[in-house]
Amino acid sequence: MPDQEPYEPERAIAGTGMGGTMDLGASEAVTLEKAPGPDGGSPQDKPRSLWSDAWHDLRRNPVFIISALVILFLIVISIWPSLIASGNPLKCDLAKAQEGSQPGHPFGFNGQGCDVYTRTVYGARTSVAVGVLATLGVAVLGSVLGGLAGFFGGAGDAVLSRITDIFFAIPVVLGGLVLLSVITSNTVWPVIGFIVLLGWPQISRIARGSVITAKQNDYVQAARALGASNSRLLLRHIAPNAVAPVIVVATIALGTYISLEATLSFLGVGLKPPSVSWGIDISAAAPYVRNAPHALLWPSGALAVTVLAFIMLGDAVRDALDPKLR
Amino acid sequence: MLLEVRDLHVEFHTRDGVARAVNGVSYGVDAGETLAVLGESGSGKSVTAQTVMGILDVPPGRITSGEILFEGRDLLKLKEEERRKVRGAEMAMIFQDALSSLNPVLTVGDQLGEMFTVHRGMSRKDARAKAVELMDRVRIPAAKERVRQYPHQFSGGMRQRIMIAMAMALEPKLIIADEPTTALDVTVQAQVMDLLAELQRELHMGLILITHDLGVVADVADRIAVMYAGRIVETAPVHDIYKNPAHPYTRGLLESIPRLDQKGQELYAIKGLPPNLTRIPPGCAFHPRCPMAQDVCATDVPPLYDVTESDAERGSACHFWRECLHG
Amino acid sequence: MAEPILQVTGLVKHYPLTTGILFKKQVGAVKAVDGVDFHLDRGETLGIVGESGCGKSTVAKMLVNLERPTAGEIRYKGEDITRLSGKALKSVRRNIQMVFQDPYTSLNPRMTVGDIIGEAYDIHPEVAPKGDRRARVQQLLDVVGLNPEYINRYPHQFSGGQRQRIGIARGLALRPEIIVADEPVSALDVSVQAQVINLMARLQDEFDLSYIFIAHDLSIVRHISDRVGVMYLGRIVETGRDAEIYDHPTHPYTQALLSAVPVPDPEAREHRERIILAGDVPSPTNIPSGCRFRTRCWKARERCALEVPALAVPAEFRSVSGPAAHDSACHFAEEKQVVPPETDDGAGHGSGPG
Repeated sequence: MPDQEPYEPERAIAGTGMGGTMDLGASEAVTLEKAPGPDGGSPQDKPRSLWSDAWHDLRRNPVFIISALVILFLIVISIWPSLIASGNPLKCDLAKAQEGSQPGHPFGFNGQGCDVYTRTVYGARTSVAVGVLATLGVAVLGSVLGGLAGFFGGAGDAVLSRITDIFFAIPVVLGGLVLLSVITSNTVWPVIGFIVLLGWPQISRIARGSVITAKQNDYVQAARALGASNSRLLLRHIAPNAVAPVIVVATIALGTYISLEATLSFLGVGLKPPSVSWGIDISAAAPYVRNAPHALLWPSGALAVTVLAFIMLGDAVRDALDPKLR
Repeated sequence: MLLEVRDLHVEFHTRDGVARAVNGVSYGVDAGETLAVLGESGSGKSVTAQTVMGILDVPPGRITSGEILFEGRDLLKLKEEERRKVRGAEMAMIFQDALSSLNPVLTVGDQLGEMFTVHRGMSRKDARAKAVELMDRVRIPAAKERVRQYPHQFSGGMRQRIMIAMAMALEPKLIIADEPTTALDVTVQAQVMDLLAELQRELHMGLILITHDLGVVADVADRIAVMYAGRIVETAPVHDIYKNPAHPYTRGLLESIPRLDQKGQELYAIKGLPPNLTRIPPGCAFHPRCPMAQDVCATDVPPLYDVTESDAERGSACHFWRECLHG
Repeated sequence: MAEPILQVTGLVKHYPLTTGILFKKQVGAVKAVDGVDFHLDRGETLGIVGESGCGKSTVAKMLVNLERPTAGEIRYKGEDITRLSGKALKSVRRNIQMVFQDPYTSLNPRMTVGDIIGEAYDIHPEVAPKGDRRARVQQLLDVVGLNPEYINRYPHQFSGGQRQRIGIARGLALRPEIIVADEPVSALDVSVQAQVINLMARLQDEFDLSYIFIAHDLSIVRHISDRVGVMYLGRIVETGRDAEIYDHPTHPYTQALLSAVPVPDPEAREHRERIILAGDVPSPTNIPSGCRFRTRCWKARERCALEVPALAVPAEFRSVSGPAAHDSACHFAEEKQVVPPETDDGAGHGSGPG
């Protein structure tokens, strides 16, 4: 089949072309000779770890810069919302219900007469808190369980794999409706707990796969041949080389967790008023969309931008960590 | 000349700059002749072949200049549609890794037959019969039964035979084999090389054999072109080059092979490493590693000098080819 | 005669084939290594050659305790190391180290060269006091021909040949007595292979090392080895001093293997007899009865299917003392010269250029 792809471009080309710095090889070669060559002082000769290479790439990627700025902004206003919103999100005046934009209230008022701008700013706190905390929980639980299962294999691995299969079969929204409806606490914790409970199998599966891949590398065998303990193998050799896919998937998942929180709150099982959440506001504004579309538009717009920012960040990080995709 | 490559230049745009993979390569093959292109990784031997076949990925690759004359027509000037008709029917390629070059979800019979249904407009039934005939020809036992099997059901050597069958299917005039036996064990490698040489003789095809293995070359080639850093540094009939190389790189390669009479001694080793293609040294690309290098080598690029001594045509891109030949 | 530094007897490694997800049932076994015996003397190099799947890499892994044998013994200075664990295993590991085939996957890309080589001292702190480690690593870099200043670089900044030097330096860090090298040059370019081979030969003298050198390239094995073992389908079929194996092979598989090696000499191609073997290597899950080579052997007779040939000097050579009298596991062993006698001028002009 002559039209088929060539098997493998020659290594040096692959190296300089697709593999990025993976195989800078030959040029350094000349300079790395014992007697330093003529171009011994070139800037490329500095030690560069793969992480600093990735960072070098990220800094030049506009997608990363934009999404990182958006996320930074979100984090700042969720910690100090009063920086840009002086009002109180819970102070509502029914007399002003559904009124449009006016001085001091750029986004207008919602159905209860609350200031949409203030509520949208304060809503970021819930979303960011749920997203970040749930992702941390999922990532820690998932990568520890998946990593150990992948490393040790055997019966524990088989059991864990079946458990993750079972979790994958649970419909997320339906599960949320059932589980969260029995909880009365009106904080972010039950939502976070629910997301961690259903989210860890995804990360666990990724972590398991990438630990198994990393485990097969000769450098792990080499360390074992030196007499390295299991914990050294895991922490020094496997984890640093297996963590990249987990970071990427977790970053993208963070965006989806934020939208999951909004969905659950919209359905009335996540956070409930008087908490402030984009989901609650979207739910409250939905019936009045004809009369007061702005009350729906701003919180849903904020939600969409936030989710998109995290997903784009995840994409950018993946590209930077995996030079083969370039 | 069946195929003539003239002054071909190919470069790749990479993160680290422009990699000049092929820098003015010229070679030719006659019908019935075997040209071995010998070189290490990064020498440009495979990129040249991919450019001749028209399967170079563009981008990142870019053909900056040169001509590829196939029976007098410049392939680089053909439209993609016409080019495709040449591929497969008039020239075919065999790759190193047969498993990844065969489609895992189709039976080998379907894949072989496809050559005839697509290019010759045969019916499926006739094509299947042709497939069995081809498999017989490359000596796959029980071809009639095995034609229904999938690539993973064959061993490495058998898969490479299927690749050869596929390349031969339309009786092309030129075959390019890129490291066809590198992935195989020695005993299987011998079987496959024998088969390839025999079919080539029978069909009177031109064969370009791309390899890094000096042993395989000595076994089958008529002429050799040695490549280094995207250029041909030496070209000669096979007997001359092994007896008396005219380029220090060729000489270094030949002497770095372990030999019986040097047992226990230190092997001759070419110092240093092949250059990075984004930073090819000025002058002769080999000069930083060359034991014969003089000042002129660092400044002037040596042309491919005509170093013909007897009647056979030879070329060497070394300023000091005389010293190399007679040293 | 002094006791060999390493004595391997009846080494077996079977990987069970199982079905079922939670409750596994064994349905067969991949017999990767199926009864291997050899010894290694101090300061010598034993080459092990064979085609892919013959089990040579599995042998290497068992020697450095990365795999546990299913049966058999590996005696290091008289002590069986296959059942060791904990401290005792760790101290044996100091003395038997490995060099890997692929210089691209054998170095951790997230660690600097200094950390990679120095890790040996983290694991075995008794070898080098803390303050001394950096200097030792730099000294090792110097020994393998790399600039000691590059201690803080990462593996991807080096070429394949240089990475293999780093791998060798790591293997040397604990000053082992034995180095097991599994295809150490097959991933390298021809012009770089010779550099690494020379380095290994020099280090052997400098550090008084014993090598197990595993490769598929017969000419490289011959160059570096004192004795050679030829493996086929999990067993050694012929073993002897290098000249005995290469110039006087008596096992048909060795003869076929040697005759198939392309020789870099175009003059040889016309008058060379080639033994082209039929078919492929049988699957290690289903090894032929009797002699395991009989399915591809042109000499096979009934006896070969019934009786497993022992690895010993064949009866017909027992009375003669000559190069043909070496261990060969064949019922019908006979001497056959397949490598053409070296002409005095095959390639180049003897000495190096310049």
